[in-house]
Amino acid sequence: MDEWKANPTIKPHKKRSWYLAWKYKLMNQRALRKLCQTGAVLFLLVTVIVNIKLILDTRRAAYEQEEESAQDYDDEMLNVEVARHPVSNKKVLDVEVYSSRSKVYVAVDGTTVLEDEAREQGRGIHVIVLNQATGHVMAKRVFDTYSPHEDEAMVLFLNMVARGRILIFTIKDEGSFHLKDTAKNVLKSLGSQVAPFLSWRDMWTFVGRKGGEVYGEKHAKSPTLSTWGDPVLLKTEVHLTSVEDAECHWPDTELNRRRKRFCSKVEGYGSVCSCKDPTPIEFNPDPLKDNKVFDVPVAVIAGNRPNYLYRMLRSLLSAQGVNPQMITVFIDGYYEEPMDVVELFGLSGIQHTPISIKNARVSQHYKASLTATFNLFPDAKFAVVLEEDLDISVDFFSFLSQSIYLLEEDESLYCISAWNDQGYEHTAEDPSLLYRVETMPGLGWVLRKSLYKDELEPKWPTPEKLWDWDMWMRMPEQRKGRECIIPDISRSYHFGIVGLNMNGYFHEAYFKKHKFNTVPNVQLKNVESLRKEAYETEIHRLLGEAEVLDHSKNPCEDSFVPDTEGRVYVMFIRMEQEADFTTWTQLAKCLHIWDLDVRGNHKGLWRLFRKKNHFLVVGVPASPYSSKKPSSVTPVYMEPPAKEEGAAAVPAVAAAEQT
Amino acid sequence: MQKVNKNVVLALLSLTSLVFLLFQLYYYKFYLSQKNGAVFSKVRGSQSGQDSTRWHVVRKFLGLISSHNIPVYLIDPLILGLVDKDIEQIRSSPDAPSPECKYFCAPRDFTTFALLDKTWKHELGLFRTAEKMGFQWLKIINKDPRLDGMDDLSGTEIPLHYIFKLASHAIHLVVFYERSGNYLWHGPLRLKQHMDRKFVPFRKLHFGRYPGAYEKPELLLVSIDDLKVQIPKNPSSFLEEMSHSRFLECRYREARAFFQLYPDDASLDAVEFRKKAKSLLHLAALTLNNLGVKFWLSSGTCLGWYRQCNVITHSKDVDLGVFIRDYKADIIPAFQKAGLPLKHKFGKVEDSLELSFQGEDDVKLDIFFFYEEDDHIWNGGTQAKSGKKFKYLFPKFTLCWTEFVELKVHVPCETLLYVEANYGPDWKVPVKTWDWKSSPSNVQYNGVWPVDEWDDVIQVY
Repeated sequence: MDEWKANPTIKPHKKRSWYLAWKYKLMNQRALRKLCQTGAVLFLLVTVIVNIKLILDTRRAAYEQEEESAQDYDDEMLNVEVARHPVSNKKVLDVEVYSSRSKVYVAVDGTTVLEDEAREQGRGIHVIVLNQATGHVMAKRVFDTYSPHEDEAMVLFLNMVARGRILIFTIKDEGSFHLKDTAKNVLKSLGSQVAPFLSWRDMWTFVGRKGGEVYGEKHAKSPTLSTWGDPVLLKTEVHLTSVEDAECHWPDTELNRRRKRFCSKVEGYGSVCSCKDPTPIEFNPDPLKDNKVFDVPVAVIAGNRPNYLYRMLRSLLSAQGVNPQMITVFIDGYYEEPMDVVELFGLSGIQHTPISIKNARVSQHYKASLTATFNLFPDAKFAVVLEEDLDISVDFFSFLSQSIYLLEEDESLYCISAWNDQGYEHTAEDPSLLYRVETMPGLGWVLRKSLYKDELEPKWPTPEKLWDWDMWMRMPEQRKGRECIIPDISRSYHFGIVGLNMNGYFHEAYFKKHKFNTVPNVQLKNVESLRKEAYETEIHRLLGEAEVLDHSKNPCEDSFVPDTEGRVYVMFIRMEQEADFTTWTQLAKCLHIWDLDVRGNHKGLWRLFRKKNHFLVVGVPASPYSSKKPSSVTPVYMEPPAKEEGAAAVPAVAAAEQT
Repeated sequence: MQKVNKNVVLALLSLTSLVFLLFQLYYYKFYLSQKNGAVFSKVRGSQSGQDSTRWHVVRKFLGLISSHNIPVYLIDPLILGLVDKDIEQIRSSPDAPSPECKYFCAPRDFTTFALLDKTWKHELGLFRTAEKMGFQWLKIINKDPRLDGMDDLSGTEIPLHYIFKLASHAIHLVVFYERSGNYLWHGPLRLKQHMDRKFVPFRKLHFGRYPGAYEKPELLLVSIDDLKVQIPKNPSSFLEEMSHSRFLECRYREARAFFQLYPDDASLDAVEFRKKAKSLLHLAALTLNNLGVKFWLSSGTCLGWYRQCNVITHSKDVDLGVFIRDYKADIIPAFQKAGLPLKHKFGKVEDSLELSFQGEDDVKLDIFFFYEEDDHIWNGGTQAKSGKKFKYLFPKFTLCWTEFVELKVHVPCETLLYVEANYGPDWKVPVKTWDWKSSPSNVQYNGVWPVDEWDDVIQVY
């Protein structure tokens, strides 16, 4: 502010001269003095008036301008929002809720906010949350309570909804089969009379305020097991409250502004919108020393699963060494809520018009996202690719920072992945251990730009080919014998239960018990030995020291491996040629690891842990390591069960994890 | 009594007047940081002949920027022009106090700064502080061209220009984006409907009429007029670059439409050819740039860029154009050194020069030299076995930058005229059989080389 010091001397100067003049005249004639006095008085009066006017004028001008600019600002920020929700100032909402076997709909003030009459879809309890002050739809969920565990998800969701919100429930098809008592009690506590007695194929609608009054409930019982209850239509009125009552009063900071925007629009994110003690949305994890991946762009591939995205971004932004500026979330479709989540965390998001259907749609979304990532970060040599249904380990970036140089230097590498397909609770042990595998696990991985730009992008499957991008990437034409580096204990955790190729059963069988590293700053062991040649030396050393297990015992039994810790054991299975995985698949099945296709192999060798011992499986004679087999040992052969739906399941679920 | 009263009244009035004077001072100060520019500048203008408003505004702006850790650099062509004259002195004594206000006091409507996009992100805080300091600001956003080439991505309008206005002076902040091809790009300044067209005299802005492409500049921190600013290390070469920085975006929408009509060849051969053509073009660009030879995409390569934003898979070579005045004898050895042996050389520097280099696996690099006449530009062709000469005529053109296969390259700005001259009005239709002697619509028979010159003008290796 010192620049103006020199200037304002004008006025004091002027004043002093007048004062002097006045004094001078005072010493002279009386009459003149009087005249001067009067003149001075007049002058002073005029000055006072002019000053008052000036003050008033400037004040008004400043005030007006402030208002104006504030308005401009608001316009820019809030325009969209206003446009999106053209809701009148009415105090009462008319709500219509319909429940039937094949169709549900909800209309608020004549606007349909939910309509689902698709076949074979949307079964279960549909829940809609309305803002009690504006009537905006804040959340829309469907819980397939015909299937197990969905009721738990519903309870979780209902608990997260803030008090005072309007809740609307309606059942499509069937919603009671796996609706347990806990869930029924929660519904009862919301004021539902019928919920505790909901049964097979009943139709039901309910509107109520959380922690408050009930606006209506209708129910139609199913007369027999094979028929559905009659459709029910509930018409009711909901009284709105004032906006102030519906909002929290957080301190006015940049973060809280984002929070407010978010919380006024959506519901179901729990304590992030809690008035009293909201959960942070900025995490500031420790930076990594010598972070080699600080400038590597991170592409988060997302669909319309905003809750997943929320959970995923929380874990990602909490990982040590994360650089939020490099994160871009790519949303497949013009969905608002995922974008709201992205904006809540202050990240950048890009929406992508869906192209094609099903797996091809995912595949096209992947392509667009990867191309965009390298366009947006033209300097980047790599990109980290994540999906919205992954938890990210606290040392994810540390893991990559320590290993990424291999991807740069070792041409025989295809990717680095955070995921070990075979790393289950009972088969993974060592957070500092890395493997080389011939399969591409995905689920949190690093892609080299040159690989993408020179090889993958030009040949990427076109929309009409309904291929999975990951299956395509695993094909020998693309992989060309290159391998991926993976950790023994995964640095990502796949929590998604709903998805294109995913359901609750499948998730429980193959993903739930996956091991996930929670230790920060793990120092990786022997990263150098992951180079192509060094790895062979390492394997030979391992096989050299490994004890051969008793092949007369049943390898599926726990007793197959002695009750020791920290030893290295090897077993040999039959594997006639490179593609013969008959015995391996059976073994994988009985060990309860991934058996839907072959994963985690390296030249006919699998590495995992059993009872805290390193456990090697070598396929004889196809594997080059077969020479380590003592001549006395007969490789184990396990026959596939004669009648098994397994064969049919493979193509259907093989790609399951990528959804 | 009366006298006392008078004195009291006088004293009181003086006191109030003094108080109001203080108020006035206070508001004066307030004004300085307020947006009411007109009044302020009048006061200042009457005060001193020189326009130090600009200096003050720039100073404030730099303060604002540094308080938010945003690295900007000066790209104002008028100031850089002045700075360039004294560059030696400025470089040698970066901290010397300046006796007079030489650069930032010339009365101008605005001063231009540049900002690298990736060096900052959170603009909200900046705007808030700017407003507190009395700036009015305007943000010009538009589509992100880095995603424009892609199908159906959206939700990504990016800031291209900011204007901060205080009093009668405005700061024009141009946002530069890094793009594939290792260069910087700034967007055009286009006002949307609701925007205030009189915010600043937009037409007078030095940047924004067209988008522009620049090399990444090396920066230098200098102190001019007692202000510390970053400037391009070599102002004169920056100004040179600026004079022909105009950038053309590829016509992605038209290219998509083209591919809907004629689906792209996704065969393995096509993919391979594109890969080779791309790496050949990269190598050629590197070699020519090192020599300082200006070149542009010509013939089929230019058509590929213009029509489909990609290499035409059924073309067999990469074609470049070079003005004959830029010809250097080093070109042939430089390419040979880069691993591209000379395949043939037709013509001579004075007439119809054409060079061909052998790239990897049958992909050929053709360099055609262009001769400028009063009303047209032409290049020549020669048939090896007959010694026949051909001439291809083009309307006059200038050069613009564009991005092609991750490379910043020149194309004729008047691309449509260029392509139409070469391929006729039906250039939109792919033609697979092409005879360079008869197919082009601008070809003219140009006689035969004298037989005694054949050894020189027809060299085939």
